[in-house]
Order: sequence, then structure tokens, then C-alpha cells
Amino acid sequence: MSETITFPTMSKDEDAEGVLATWFVRTGETVRSGQVIAEVMVDKVSMDVEAPTSGTVTCLVEEEAAVRQGQEIARID
Amino acid sequence: MTAPVDVEAGARRVTTAKAISEAIAQEMRANPEVFVMGEDVGPYGGIFGSTGGLFEEFGATRVIDTPISETGFIGAGIGAAVEGMRPVVELMFVDFLGVCFDQIYNHMAKIHYESGGNVKVPMVLMMAVGGGYSDAAQHSQCLWATFAHMPGMKVVAPSNPYDAKGLMASAIKDDNPVIFMFHKGVMGLPWMAKNPRSIGAVPEEEYTVPIGKAAIPHPGTDVTVVSVSMSVQHCLDVAEKLEGTTSVEVIDLRSIVPLDREAILASVAKTGRLVIVDEDYKSFGLSGEIVATIADKDPSMLKVPVQRVAYPDIPVPYARVLEYEALPTRDKIEAAIAAVMKG
Repeated sequence: MSETITFPTMSKDEDAEGVLATWFVRTGETVRSGQVIAEVMVDKVSMDVEAPTSGTVTCLVEEEAAVRQGQEIARID
Repeated sequence: MTAPVDVEAGARRVTTAKAISEAIAQEMRANPEVFVMGEDVGPYGGIFGSTGGLFEEFGATRVIDTPISETGFIGAGIGAAVEGMRPVVELMFVDFLGVCFDQIYNHMAKIHYESGGNVKVPMVLMMAVGGGYSDAAQHSQCLWATFAHMPGMKVVAPSNPYDAKGLMASAIKDDNPVIFMFHKGVMGLPWMAKNPRSIGAVPEEEYTVPIGKAAIPHPGTDVTVVSVSMSVQHCLDVAEKLEGTTSVEVIDLRSIVPLDREAILASVAKTGRLVIVDEDYKSFGLSGEIVATIADKDPSMLKVPVQRVAYPDIPVPYARVLEYEALPTRDKIEAAIAAVMKG
């Protein structure tokens, strides 16, 4: 079973683009539910992204990459 | 030969900002006398994230937003400390010390001495330091030597999340006033120029890093490079780049007061070559104190003259190209190492 994690909605502007500012985990690592795995940013406002479940994480975008809200950024298996 | 081990594999990694706020939170849970006070330390979480999450957990009576009156709230912190509380007071930018220095060096630093040792001032005064992001002459200085010059205060300046958490825990537990200086560049903030060394493995449990003890994050045999705070990250980048050609020993002082002179002397006795990298002003400061430490003990341990990569004696420029001309950069550190290796 796997769960996808998407870039959170931080701006009312649906087309707003954000940045995957920091990965705190690397692909293949085990994460716990609730663990902060990334920090994302839209217009210089940042936010932590937590793992919704425990498992093995796969990062789907590069650090510093521009990402749309709602886009998949990671998967946990 | 075994393959290099990634010591951080699978470990929990956090920013230096998170590491500092986590240390404060753990001390606050353990001791009801610990509280936080300063400008924007409450719901905003500190303008550089040093108090993130504390207001939500401990509320407005233990995480107190103050007016813009540094001499008032630092004085209030000193009063609380002499009455037995353990305040963590944030002065936002070190550059603001000019408006509150009487409280700091005439009161906080001297009450213990003037009371014949009967009154303690267990206070932490933390503040942001450093440049590199075009914040100009009044928001970019380091100034650790200014505090270090005057007796009565311990002064610490971590370069990474692990040390930041452990030093903050030590600072809060210490019965003396401790100046805790975090460089904006080591905080791991998404809007600053980022070095991966600002994010690192940090144990969730409480631990301490001793004040006054340097670390040797990159051992070597050819040249000693002594630094502190943000510049340590640049020194480590250069040391790793030079692996295979020059064996660089990087000393991260972590504390400026007390200065770990033994660690510096032991390393220079081994290498005979010394480079000092300091983002604070060059004259009358930390780099000169380190050279004096060698000269006082035995100047003949140096095979060649010392190279100092320190901030020139000018106000910090706003223009990016001018600021980087003045800052200690990797290129300048590498050139200084090359210069001492030629001798």
C-alpha cells in the first residue's frame, strides 16, 4: 500500500508556484507518521510537510525545484 | 577497507532553527523557571525561527512578546534572573546592542562579581549575527569579540544544528550569563543562501554540548584552520575539496568565551601552519587573540606566518558584490591555505 504526498495549498491563487525548499529525508529512508519530511515555500511563506503515514519514502522532486500546488512530491510505501 | 558510512543515514534531520527551539522547549518542560522574552518571539516564532512552536506549547505567560525597548526587556530579564528564574532573552540582531549595552556589560555581566559571588545571573541572551544577504551595515555584523572582550559573559556561536541544540541546553543550565549567537546563514532558512550543513542529524532526546570546548569536524596534518559559526561551513567545504592534496585540520571553536586555547595549541603544534577564518572585524578581535595565544606559548611552533581571513575594518556594504568582496569566502580560505603551504 502506498500513499502520495502533494504540495500543500498555501495560496488562493490556484496557479501559484512554490518551491520544495528543503528535504529532511532521502529516498529509501524509513519515516514515522507525523515526522517532518520537507519544508515548502510559496512567496517566501514556508510550511512543514509531515509524513501522513509510516513507511519507506521516495522523493519525487528535486530540492529547490519549482512545484505547483497539489503536485505529487513524495510517496510512502 | 570498509566503504564510507553515511553516519546520518536514517537519522532525523532538522534545521539549526528547529534545533534551537527544541532545546528551549525541552528546558522549559523540565524547569518552570525557564521562560522566553523578546521582539516577535511569540506567535511569529522569532524572525529567524529560533522560538518556533514555543508560544503554541507554553502560552503568552512563558513566551513573552516585548515592545521595541531592548534596554527595558533585557533589564527585566536580568531582574528575573537574579530572583532565580532562567530567562532566555532574544535581542533579535546583535547590531542593536548599542541601545542596551549598559544593561548587558555593566549589570548582567558584573552582578555576580559585585555581589561577592552571592547573586547569580543565569540568563541566556540570544541574537542573530552575520551577513551575506545584503542587509547592510546595521543588520549584518558578528561582533562576538565585543562581548568576549569584556569579562563576565560566556559567548557561544554554533555552526550546525547538533551543536546549536546542545549548546542552548548548556547555556540555559549555566548559572552564568551566556551570549548565544546564531548566524542567520546556519539556521537552514529557506529564503537564505543555504549550505546543506545547516541541516543535520539531531537526537530527539535532551543532551548538552559543553561550553568552552572546540570540535575538530575535519582532522588533518598539514595546516590548522580555526574558525567559528557560519565560516566553519565554508572551511569544511574547502577542506573536503582539498582532500588528496592538502590535509586540512578544521577546528570549530563553538565557544569564543571560554576560548579552547588548548585545542588550538595542540593542533598548531602538530601542523606548524595556521589559518584563522573569522567573519567578525579583523582588528582587535578573535583572530588577533588566537595569534597571541600562539605567541604567548611558543611562537617557534609556527613554520610560516599566520594567514588571517577576517572581515576588513569597514562597515558591511549593502551591494552584494561589495559585501562578498569583504566576507570570508571559500576562495579566500583556499588562497590562505595555499599561502601557508608554500612556506
